[in-house]
Amino acid sequence: MKNNLIFFLLLFFTIVPPVFSASDYVLPYPSSMPGSKGYMFDQVQEKLSPLWHFGDFGSFKNNLYYADKYIVEAKVLFEYNQYLLATVALRKSDSYFSRLENNLNNASQNGKDITQKREILMSASQKHVDILTDIASNTPEDFLWVPEDNLPTKLHIHTMIEESLHIRRQ
Amino acid sequence: MNLFPLSLIGFGIFLFFVVIFSYFFLDPEISYLAFIDPPHIQNRLFLTSIYIFCICGCIFFSLFFMRRLYKKQSQKGLFQKILLFLLILLFSYPAMLSYDIYNYIATSKVTFLYLENPYIVMPIEFSTDPLITFMHAANKTALYGPVWILLTAVPFFLGFNNFVATLLLFKTIIILFYFATVVLLLKMTKDSTKVALFALHPLVIIETFIGSHNDIVMMFLALLSFFMLKEKRVLLAIFFLLASFLIKYATFALIPIFVYAVYRIVVKKPIDWGKVYKYGFISMFFIFLLSFFREEIYPWYAIWFLVFLPFLNLRKYILTSIYILTISLLFRYVPYLVTGSHFGITPYAKWIITFVPVLFYLVFQKSKNVWLRQS
Repeated sequence: MKNNLIFFLLLFFTIVPPVFSASDYVLPYPSSMPGSKGYMFDQVQEKLSPLWHFGDFGSFKNNLYYADKYIVEAKVLFEYNQYLLATVALRKSDSYFSRLENNLNNASQNGKDITQKREILMSASQKHVDILTDIASNTPEDFLWVPEDNLPTKLHIHTMIEESLHIRRQ
Repeated sequence: MNLFPLSLIGFGIFLFFVVIFSYFFLDPEISYLAFIDPPHIQNRLFLTSIYIFCICGCIFFSLFFMRRLYKKQSQKGLFQKILLFLLILLFSYPAMLSYDIYNYIATSKVTFLYLENPYIVMPIEFSTDPLITFMHAANKTALYGPVWILLTAVPFFLGFNNFVATLLLFKTIIILFYFATVVLLLKMTKDSTKVALFALHPLVIIETFIGSHNDIVMMFLALLSFFMLKEKRVLLAIFFLLASFLIKYATFALIPIFVYAVYRIVVKKPIDWGKVYKYGFISMFFIFLLSFFREEIYPWYAIWFLVFLPFLNLRKYILTSIYILTISLLFRYVPYLVTGSHFGITPYAKWIITFVPVLFYLVFQKSKNVWLRQS
């Protein structure tokens, strides 16, 4: 009986991968990917979204949403070896993420309490760092992307990831 | 003997007491109104008795005045004088029974003070704002339509960020819409006795003058839309129905009747307006009953169908049934006032209080008819 218990415990800890850093922050499910029919619709929605998400907190929510959306998109595309599209998604995520601090500064200047939003930003940042570290461990440092009908592009994947990490750690 | 001046004085004194009593329900957490410092009564039964007294007084005066209006016994201008006396209730404490007025103010504040979209940013996100310490739906985004939010800009800016002034101005705007509705009903029906069925209904008075619910605004715009349709101004009618829908959405139920009326106008055929109002009443009554599935039947939802009452020629027993049902709705507050909880026996007690009296009355009427036929 005791041996069985030890066996099952060993089995459990072998199967379940260890988690070294974890955040309660939950990222969204992957949305439509580049090339799919719904992607263009999403792009239009993304362009219109700032009009609906006005205000400091509204912009914060919008920028955080798209920073999350694109990091998930980048992760999926890296997993499918779609490196060129993945780097584009990563750049978009970086762009949205870098606006968050500005949103919070504006909110603070306008007399709004940003304590809770700052905590959300810290959690999001930690989650993004986890994802980026994971991506870095599963991708080549550089990659020569050779399209069928265009000139090849050299992608410095790890340099880009380093830059993304730098934005999140600021 | 003309009892009219005496009854009006009695009505005024009663309303004055209602205003005083309403402050017994003041939440001590509301720092803005701490200067009033009413006695903090913990005895729930005493508070319930006060509430029942207010309701019964309202029912008594409402029936008394309606009877006088019906018999045309009174001097000219009785109706206008009664309505003017109701203005005393402007100074009543609005959150005696519901905290909706604080939601209106909070949504307005999120939009016009913090310049955020109230449909994505909740009042609770402004954690340092004193309003969230006592409002009840701080963790919800805006519940009402954009037209309502735009309308609230007027009392909000005129209040100059002073809570008491803003509160009074929010109440004022609701009361103005009540008077606008009464004027419109008088214009449409040309019968003050029938309009009194709505204007002097205790539920309408309590939920509009004390509770300050925006349902009266929604229904005013819906009525105005039908008025415009009657005047064959279709575009204006569409505009006002849309505005009404964008207050609280419930008037979407009027769209089929509205489309029917527009169609008749376009094909230049006569419209049976009696039928239009009858189906308007039925549609809004149906939506009122359906609100049970969404959350619960709130008493002020009855304003949705009561506004059509002056247009209908109902049989006495149907009118009495509607009156019993709507008065029962006012007593739905009693279980909560007694127990202090929305759970346990309260939901069952609310259901019994709402439907049993009217069912009892209908069964009684039915058995009386059978008995009369047999004898």
